[in-house]
Formats: sequence, structure tokens, C-alpha cells
Amino acid sequence: MRQSDVYAIASKDIVFESFDGEAVVLDLATGKYFGFTDTGSCLWEALSSGVSPEDLVGAATRSGQVSAADLDAFVARLLEFGLLAPAAGQAAQPLSQSLVAQLANAAEPAQVDIHDDLADLILVDPIHEVEEPQGWPAVKQAS
Amino acid sequence: MKLSVIMPVYNREGFVGSALRSLLRQQDEADLDIIVIDDGSSDGSVAVVRELERQTPCIRLFQQANGGVTRARNAGLKQLLPQTELVSFLDSDDISPAGRFREDLACFDADPDLELTYSRMMLVDRIDEDALAPAADSNSITVRGIHLSAGIFRRGLVERIGAFDEDFLQAEDTDYLLRVFESRPRYVMPDTVSLYYRRHPGNMTKEADVPFREFMRAVHKSIKRRKSNPSLARIEGIFDLKDLAGWRFM
Repeated sequence: MRQSDVYAIASKDIVFESFDGEAVVLDLATGKYFGFTDTGSCLWEALSSGVSPEDLVGAATRSGQVSAADLDAFVARLLEFGLLAPAAGQAAQPLSQSLVAQLANAAEPAQVDIHDDLADLILVDPIHEVEEPQGWPAVKQAS
Repeated sequence: MKLSVIMPVYNREGFVGSALRSLLRQQDEADLDIIVIDDGSSDGSVAVVRELERQTPCIRLFQQANGGVTRARNAGLKQLLPQTELVSFLDSDDISPAGRFREDLACFDADPDLELTYSRMMLVDRIDEDALAPAADSNSITVRGIHLSAGIFRRGLVERIGAFDEDFLQAEDTDYLLRVFESRPRYVMPDTVSLYYRRHPGNMTKEADVPFREFMRAVHKSIKRRKSNPSLARIEGIFDLKDLAGWRFM
């Protein structure tokens, strides 16, 4: 893998949130949930925002430096899962100081795992209240 | 069997009367206790509830400063009567269909160990406020969705699950139901339509950032719980929202 490549989130169906430093990614097209370790969360956040893998190699974590091999394997998984896609021609973004600090506190290996048992829920949004009704909608069955 | 129905209310003066009447019409079929938690409404919601409370002792109104729906639901749980055996929920803008309780209570009569019935819900865009049923010209779709009103919970189950997680601004109901099903309750899934859910614009979009973030958090917490405690059940084969995928609410 050419580590100078830059990546971006693969499609609009891939949505990402962070909860207490833990990245959660959902694929709304398949209903799959992707969970990350602490190191994995930092790397996902960096890579998905356009930080070059090259700039992540050697980053310090509590269990040592991020190696090129580990990063390659991690990026390969994200590509394989359809979460990231190469962003050809885009300029690499700098690694933020807050992510550097977060990485320094991370101890687990860079990993991502898949869960699909909540796909029924994720595929079709659940029903939640909105702030105020804005008038009654029409309902139509899509063809 | 005493059935306590918890209804949080916040500024729903135009709807809460219909919601309460939809419960009251089932008084002959269920030993109802209706716990209304007014969450600091600034409109006429309290007056509407008070008027109905005067007419029937089975409505109990409690008022609190505005603290959000999650705390209001928890306040409701704290008001269960000593004799409450079953618990359900109705939001103040929704309608409980006629016969809804009769149908599911029969399941509890038939199985003393049953802890939960989890039924279907109808999303509907127009309600006939006199009939408290979908209007003749309404559009609707029925699914086994994610809604507290779909459930009638044995009190022991409610006590085992504990309070709604007040970290959630929304999706507290999703989180609660996930916790319920993870706990391997003894349940059945009747085909009863347990709820007419008034479909407001905007409440099923994937772009509504705050609700969706909260939903993601509920999913995240469920997966974390099950990772750390493998004895919890996977959530499969319960919610069936596939039919919604072919519909667009415009």
C-alpha cells in the first residue's frame, strides 16, 4: 500500500459518531455496525478526515508506536469493509494535537469489528419525536 | 390486574385530551391507572388533564419542572401503585386503539409467567379526533417498530430493567427496549395494533442529526453491554421495520 494515499469516507451511507472517544460507524446501506478499539477510534477519526497514513506511522500510544504494518492492515480492513475510499488528488490534512493526545492515551491494538444483529434497526431509522410538528405531511408509497 | 400507563406531557394541549380519552374508553377492559407526568408545560396541557382527572379517579397527574422526556418517564415509574402488576406507556400525542389492552391482557391471563407482550404499531398521518382512530382519508402503515407503547411489561421486568438512562436526550426508549430484550424476558409478539402513532414531519429522517446521534448511542451501548456480558441476548427477529423502507413520508 502506498502510505502517501489519502482516504475519505466511502459514501454518504457511512455515518460516524464518537462517544467518549469511541468511534462508532454505521453503514446505513447494509445496517452493519462497526466498533473500534481506542487506538482504532483515533486512527479512524484521522484517516476519515483526510490525514495521510504516512503521518500516522510512528505515532505514540501507551502500547508503543503505530507501525506501518499495523496501519496497513487497519487501512486494508477499512477499505475491505467499504468504510473508506481513496481520495485521489486531495491534499493530506494535518494530524490534530487533540488526536495526538488521544492516541498517546490509547492502549489497545488498532482494530475494527463488525456487528450485524441490529441491522433491522439501522436499515430503517427508528421513530423518534421531533421538537414541534410543522403541519401534517402527506404519505405516499414509493414505487 | 392493575395496569399503570405512564404518559409524559410537555406542551401538547391539542393532543393530550385525545390521548387520555383513548385510554379511558378501555376502562371496562383493563384495570387502568393513568400516570400523567406534566414536564413543566407552559401551554394549557395541565388544564386539559385536570378536566379529565376530575371526571375519573384513574388519572393521576404529577407536575414537575421541565427536565426532558427521559426524566419524566422515570418520574412516572416512581409513581407505580403498590398493586400495579403491569406497566405500559402512551405518549401524549398518540392514540391507544380500542381493544388494544383487552387483546394483549389475554396473553398475561393465559401465561402467568409471561413478562412482556410486544405488539405492532400503526403510523398514521390523520387521526379522527372523535373516533380516536385513523381518519377515513388517512395513510397508514403497520410495523413492529421501536416504541414503548408496543409493550405491556410485567412489573417484575420493569423492576429488573431499572430506570430510563437519563444520559439520553432522546432514544431513551430505544435504549430501554434494547435493555429489555437483551435481558431475555419471557415475551410474546401478538399482532395487536397497540398504538396509532401520529406521524409528524421530520421524525424519520436520517438527516435529523440529534435524534440519529442518540440512536447511534443506544446501538453503541447495546453492543458494549453485550460485549462485556455475553449472557445478554442478541437483538434479532423482534423489530420488523422492513415495510417502512418502501414508504416515503413527505
